Amino acid sequence: MLPNSEIRSTAMRVVTQSIVPHDITEHFTQAASKLVAGQLVKDEYFTLFEAVGALEIMDPKMDSGFIAPGEDLAEALQDSYDVTQELRPEQVVGIMDGLLCHEMAWHMGHPLSQTLFTSIYLDKLLWPIPKTMEQATFSRETDDKDNVLVQLVLRAYCLGLVKACDLVHGQVVSEYFYEEEDFVTQLYNRSLLSEFDVDAILKIINQALDWVDGPENSIDDPLTKALRVRLLFRRDFLTALEQNSKVLQTRSTKHLSSCISHISALEKSSPLGQAVPEAFSLKIQRKLASTVPPRPMVNISIENALSHLRRLCQDAIDIQQVLEYSCPYNVMISVWTLMSRKPQPSVYIRSLLQTIVFSDMRVLGSLSIKNFMYDDLAQLVLPHNILLQANMDNIELPSDPRFRIAQQMDDFVKRFSQPFLDTFRSICLNRCRFRRTLCHTAVDWDTLQMEAEELDTELRALTLEPPLKLHGGEPAYSYPLSSWAYHQKLTQLRTILQLGFELSIYAPEELPGMYWYLSHICSAHLAHIDRIRTFTLAASRGPAAVLTLPGGTKANASEREGAFHTSLRLLERLTTQLIAIDAFAIALHALYVLLARHGVLPRASSPNQAYSSERLRYELRMKPFLPISLPEPVPYAEYRGEADLEGDSDATVLERATRAIAEARKAWETILARGVFLVPSPTAAGTTHAPRSIEEDWKREVKDTMRACIGTSIAIESIKKALAARSSEGVPVRVEIPELGSKMRWHDWWAVPHIVPRS
Amino acid sequence: MDASKATRYLESLLGQTLRVHTTDTRMFVGIFKCTDADRNIILASTYEYRFPPPSAVQEAASAADNQSSSFKMNMTSRLIGLVVVPGQHITRIEVEETAEQARFRQKLEK
Repeated sequence: MLPNSEIRSTAMRVVTQSIVPHDITEHFTQAASKLVAGQLVKDEYFTLFEAVGALEIMDPKMDSGFIAPGEDLAEALQDSYDVTQELRPEQVVGIMDGLLCHEMAWHMGHPLSQTLFTSIYLDKLLWPIPKTMEQATFSRETDDKDNVLVQLVLRAYCLGLVKACDLVHGQVVSEYFYEEEDFVTQLYNRSLLSEFDVDAILKIINQALDWVDGPENSIDDPLTKALRVRLLFRRDFLTALEQNSKVLQTRSTKHLSSCISHISALEKSSPLGQAVPEAFSLKIQRKLASTVPPRPMVNISIENALSHLRRLCQDAIDIQQVLEYSCPYNVMISVWTLMSRKPQPSVYIRSLLQTIVFSDMRVLGSLSIKNFMYDDLAQLVLPHNILLQANMDNIELPSDPRFRIAQQMDDFVKRFSQPFLDTFRSICLNRCRFRRTLCHTAVDWDTLQMEAEELDTELRALTLEPPLKLHGGEPAYSYPLSSWAYHQKLTQLRTILQLGFELSIYAPEELPGMYWYLSHICSAHLAHIDRIRTFTLAASRGPAAVLTLPGGTKANASEREGAFHTSLRLLERLTTQLIAIDAFAIALHALYVLLARHGVLPRASSPNQAYSSERLRYELRMKPFLPISLPEPVPYAEYRGEADLEGDSDATVLERATRAIAEARKAWETILARGVFLVPSPTAAGTTHAPRSIEEDWKREVKDTMRACIGTSIAIESIKKALAARSSEGVPVRVEIPELGSKMRWHDWWAVPHIVPRS
Repeated sequence: MDASKATRYLESLLGQTLRVHTTDTRMFVGIFKCTDADRNIILASTYEYRFPPPSAVQEAASAADNQSSSFKMNMTSRLIGLVVVPGQHITRIEVEETAEQARFRQKLEK
């Protein structure tokens, strides 16, 4: 992944003096008339494909500057709405709420031209681009100080809003996102007051607040309150966003919390407002520098806007919990849990979290990449190991093996840090992109694993690692770095499958096969974790190390023990989690095999199979993984046999499902009981205050999975009864696979069939 | 002008900046990319220029009246990117060029 730095800009066209226009109408027309129909004269690099994207001038659907014949030119360009007119307070409240709806619609991914830039007030405020704060008014000619409600109160609100948008825009474009999919960065050659300081705008908002609370204000109480809370919200929201732009230093959630506290007052007072639809106009699109056809205004309800806003503020508070660092495993859980919220946090939050995870060469604002990676390596594969302890500060003799280890490890960090960090950052993408990215990175990690393997071999010559005699009696080595890389890859492969369920990629007829494949990946992963454990246990029992650092080993014996303890507990956690997923997948696989066998599984493809076959579908699903050498791709014939449970009777398959689901339930219960985070060392157990809302989300997710387990048990029982009652007309059931988001779909990752008896 | 000469002439204009005026009095300035027998013109990196509306011209005129008989107004412009101007809406085509380029073009026109 690369950072997003491309910001569109539209410079003015420059024409030099020596260039003169010459009329060529006649010659051009004559020459063109000589062309035969269908002949094109074109630039050799210009393709027809590009031409399709050209806007057709004078076509009302394409040409945003088109003015219908008969339409008055002045009217068409300039709205007759007078921004200097006096407004009643309820109208001001109405306009403010209208603007807030547009602001949130923009946050949701709609372009400014269809949202905020339809406001005539904002158009006057921002065009021509104001050079001083004094110029940033609705009307630069008339200076009507008496019209306080508009010229001070509404203006302060608008300034606060535009600057807030500027900060959001700046944050989003600084990280990875997908243009138009997540967010539209286009500013149409306008500026969102980016030249001005937040303080200057806060000053004006405070002036407006002083007036609202002052003696000159004669507006009745409920409306005064409505105006006040809107200004207060603007002040807090702007301050909060500014603090977020320095989140790693400020780490404050005070203003975000007070934004949330204003929301119910905003909600209650919004019926007092009176909408002013004339203050918003699509005609402004005729003046915006835009390469897209004219598009309609986006209108969302105030309830919708406020609920988006509330979520935004809450997410912004919660993501700061990631900053409480204990170990990379916990960071991963936190990032994952936050980004799995439904609906997914908005693009601003996802961008902010990327900044928190990594910016200015620091992870979570405090750790170096090397430390962060070393923590992860130490926990998974190298507890208290010389590979991570050697550094060139202690040993300066280039011939010393420890010096050479340090050198090799530095190279390793250089090569692996970016892909490793991306495993965290890519979670912040939208879900579809996240899955697509994983399909690519899994292949990259396959290469990385091979590179790590070479490095392992070289390092082994330096550490003089004694081999273990495993089952076959062949000497085996630990290969710590490549083991770590393989673990990352297996995690990604599993996530790709699980996100496939979450994104409803698979057709119902594919479900038996995909759940089989999920369990296949899980068992490969389990075997891998077992291998790591074997070597960790051997290392913990063996001598401290062949190589040691100056400073002795006795003092840190307890430290060593602690490191091994943490590492083994992490492996235990990973094992339980994989067993839980594996068992659940086996159960669903068996259940779906039965449904498919008896022809009651719904199908998405047509029954005559003209263009789809199981083989083609399998090829399609496996395509991204073909370049991967480990785990080896499963040939179709083998897959077919395994996925269909060929040769197993219905009774055997039922038995398999029942046993597996019981095991899955037990494993998920263990996971829930163990809690969300790994507590790195036993001594720290009491002191860490676990991030609460992340923990709650995580618990909810595990409980949903357990609910899905129970649903599966019920489905297994139903099919068992139905099979017993089978007649010549087949199995008397109807099967539905609950859609995502429906009540019966307890968890996105587990498509549990709903089996209804048919009489 | 025969057909091959006509093609050569149009090809010589490719990549140059054209000003294409339309029936609704707008002007489009962009890089000439493509044309066909119907004189449809594709321009890249195009700016749209629009004359100020008559009411605004009148206002400016009356404001300027006191001092002199002539006055200046800016056309408003905006970037609109890749466009195709259909031949039937084109009223005038101009090419932006240096004196030297003009001499070369005039040779081809003969």
